[in-house]
Amino acid sequence: MIKTIASRIWAFFKSFQLTIVLLALLMCLVVLCTLAQVEMGTAGAVNAYMRSFFVWRHVAALPFPLPIFPGGALVGLLLTINLIAKTLDIKLIWPRAGMWLIHAGLVILFAGEFVAGMMQVDTNMSIEVGQTVNYVQSYKDMELAVIDVTDPAWDEVYSVPDTLLAKGGSIAIPGTPITLNVKRYFPNAELATLIPGSAPSLATAGVGVNASVVEIPVVSADNEMNQTSAFVEPVAGGRSYGVWLTSVALGAPQSFTHEGRTYALSMRLRRQYLPYAFTLKQFRHDVYPGTDIPKNFSSLVQVVNPSQKESREVLIYMNQPLRYEGKTFYQASFGKNDTLSILSVVENPGWLLPYVSCVLVSLGLLVHFAIVLRRSLKRRQDQKES
Amino acid sequence: MTFLKKYLAWGAGALALLIALVVALPGGKARGFDVNGFGSLPILEGGRVKPLDSVARNSLLVIHSRQGFRHEGRMVGPDEWMLDVVFRPQVADQQPIFVIDDLDVLGLIGAKQTKSRNYFSFADLSTHLEEIQKQATTAQPIAPQKRTRFQSAIVNLFDRVYLYYKLRNTLQLAGSPGIGWEIQSLGTADATLRHQDLTQLAHFRILPPPAGAGPDAWQSVGQALSAANAGGGLHPGLVPLAKLNAAYVANDPTTFNQALTEMKGVVATLKPGALGHASNEIAFNRAQPFFVGLSIYFVAFLVLCVSWIWKPELLRPTAYSLLAAGAIVHTLGLAARIILQGRPPVTNLYSSAVFVGWGAVILGLIVERMYRKGFGTAVAAAAGFASLIVAQNLGTEGDTMEMMRAVLDSNFWLATHVVTITIGYSGTFLAGSIAIAYALRKHLVTKVDVETDKVLVDMAYGIICFALFFSFVGTVLGGIWADQSWGRFWGWDPKENGALLIVLWNAIILHARMAGYVRDRGTMVMAIFGNVITALSWFGVNMLGVGLHSYGFMDQAFWALTGFCVSQLILMLICYAPPRFWANNPHSKA
Repeated sequence: MIKTIASRIWAFFKSFQLTIVLLALLMCLVVLCTLAQVEMGTAGAVNAYMRSFFVWRHVAALPFPLPIFPGGALVGLLLTINLIAKTLDIKLIWPRAGMWLIHAGLVILFAGEFVAGMMQVDTNMSIEVGQTVNYVQSYKDMELAVIDVTDPAWDEVYSVPDTLLAKGGSIAIPGTPITLNVKRYFPNAELATLIPGSAPSLATAGVGVNASVVEIPVVSADNEMNQTSAFVEPVAGGRSYGVWLTSVALGAPQSFTHEGRTYALSMRLRRQYLPYAFTLKQFRHDVYPGTDIPKNFSSLVQVVNPSQKESREVLIYMNQPLRYEGKTFYQASFGKNDTLSILSVVENPGWLLPYVSCVLVSLGLLVHFAIVLRRSLKRRQDQKES
Repeated sequence: MTFLKKYLAWGAGALALLIALVVALPGGKARGFDVNGFGSLPILEGGRVKPLDSVARNSLLVIHSRQGFRHEGRMVGPDEWMLDVVFRPQVADQQPIFVIDDLDVLGLIGAKQTKSRNYFSFADLSTHLEEIQKQATTAQPIAPQKRTRFQSAIVNLFDRVYLYYKLRNTLQLAGSPGIGWEIQSLGTADATLRHQDLTQLAHFRILPPPAGAGPDAWQSVGQALSAANAGGGLHPGLVPLAKLNAAYVANDPTTFNQALTEMKGVVATLKPGALGHASNEIAFNRAQPFFVGLSIYFVAFLVLCVSWIWKPELLRPTAYSLLAAGAIVHTLGLAARIILQGRPPVTNLYSSAVFVGWGAVILGLIVERMYRKGFGTAVAAAAGFASLIVAQNLGTEGDTMEMMRAVLDSNFWLATHVVTITIGYSGTFLAGSIAIAYALRKHLVTKVDVETDKVLVDMAYGIICFALFFSFVGTVLGGIWADQSWGRFWGWDPKENGALLIVLWNAIILHARMAGYVRDRGTMVMAIFGNVITALSWFGVNMLGVGLHSYGFMDQAFWALTGFCVSQLILMLICYAPPRFWANNPHSKA
């Protein structure tokens, strides 16, 4: 009994029906994901359709979203199982060598996309000519940084990610005597000057006293950014330092002093500090003569890594990224009249897998078609002879 | 007899090549002026050095949708038109070259829709320029895919008028006495202002870099006059240019042709090699290999169709030799583009259409050699013709050898990823075309011919395998390019997704067939759907306007694409419908 069930499951997972249904589902997902990019932006659409197990949709009548379509992760997982089952099922005989290689290669390709989906981190580094930067920052995620700026030569940074701010409540900042009370958190908001006579601001200190904050829907398109904002109340040593408005939309950080140490509050894109630093020595933006068509962008960067006792110049330009310490830095954008260079930074531990897969599959396809061609030529020869 | 037939067949192909050669020969002088020589002057425009002829052709194509027009009872070619625009704007302004089809735009300029196409001269439009500019300025900030039909049309008209306006103010300010007068009045009161206008409006730079300047420092007339005004000495090209100007205005061909020789001498000293490169390109322009190629494919297809009802043993080889002749012209054109541009064959949407057609034709030639049923020829000729028609329509937006944007500037990846993936497109289209032939044959040919059906299915199947191989390898190479230059292998970018769809679809066909879910007819229906998928991923994603790949945006092709997809769906139905009607028909025994 158990054996029959097991063999039926096995038969299901290695069946061609499953392959075809899954491939068709994948095609639908790819089409949906592509169309959704117009509205949601690439990252949003990929997360909704490709990197989730189900595609969820809110129905007006229900308070919770419904799964309306299998997501890319589920289809991919099933396809991988199907592939592995099929690969194991292919008899190890020479005429099947090509097939075997192709399917093994595909398993690796899928694994690569899984690794990328789970572990790839996309960040960027904005760096002005002459500036030295030792961190990368997120495209969308925010953090509230509490910076001890007492020592002019050295900033001590403590940061609270937006996900924690969203939960609200009290957040103790480790390494400092400060506890932050999150009064209100806005994933996206519009800030304006408070009109006299309207309801007063939640803030009791800083520029927020004169600001009105209105929550607006979260955006996810590629060229839009959320104006994440929050009202927080730093408390230290049993004393409140007032309620402050912090927002990405506010330029300069605001600060308060506790027991002789000055702390600045700043809502900003989430940063990851690096054990090395880049200094932009030169940025070039070449155009074809007599036109505005860009010919080349390049950033000449001084990489300084004290732990490796390394200090060298690197030229990062189009189609020529820098791979360094597990991260890939590539020339992505520019600004401020060609004095600001924006490097995109990608960290993907599985970056090598597609290369391996590509070699295996191409080889497999070649071997397989060679075998098929030989067989069909032989058949034609036999036909002619008979 | 068969010997004779063979010669007749190959003779047809040779004749086609001869005609192609005749087309490539330079035309005569217009009114005694060496207009061809004027067109072969090298200039800098769009970031590269090219003959003036290329600018003339592309501008006329943009403004007029054709490379020549009839005026006052004779054909005016691009070079002669250009001469009039730059030296005799008062004449060029009267030539009706602006095509306006949009009813609302016609209404705006107070004209009525007439039966023939609506052609207007610059003089006709000149009273409405302010209104056109006003309307276009309001429409321009709107993203192209969100503009209304009127907004697109008015922006398009404005761009064309502005191009014309720039051209007529490139060598001299229109209405001024000419370059000679500008040289004489250097240092006078208004000169600086005029030089600024000339510099700003110049559409191309005609004066080669003066001695001691950088290799890309071509100058427009305005720049050269400014330099001379500032005491930097007169550019040696200005004097012959002034002579050309004066002679053309005075209708003096002899002096004009002498001045042209003088001008070429200046170019040869300042920029050796530029003249040679320009004359190569002008030969390519004149030969119009892709237009000639598509004409030959068309004839080949017709001949083959006739061969099914009349003298097959003569006409089938004739069609094949014509196809081969077309392929030779097509290949030479492709090779010429590669040499002129110094790039792999596919650099933009236009060249991808040319290359897809080429790939389909070459594949078709091979398939025909293998099976000799005439289907390879028919399908290859049809596919070659269709894709070159697409290319002709894509090529109306200006220079098809434009410079590569920085991110695409990599010959290695253009040569590997782009070429492989385009071959994959070719294969999928060819398999789809064979399936269409199979579908039509099933219903049109009353005789049941199992063997031919089998051959067609075999061909399609083999080509699908081929297409899967190339589209998969191409897609993965694209991923590797992306990893190399953007740091990620796969970003679910629309163009990547499009390529993935083709791979997935071909994989589905093969698996469905392997598992026995579909047989011959099913495979063919699926192969036709491959056409839809390929067309959508090739052109459809460019209409979405998102992602890193959306460099080739088109606004007018949307309906053409929709029409194509619908036609393919109908063909799928036709293919799926059983030929029972014919089987029961008494004619079927005939």
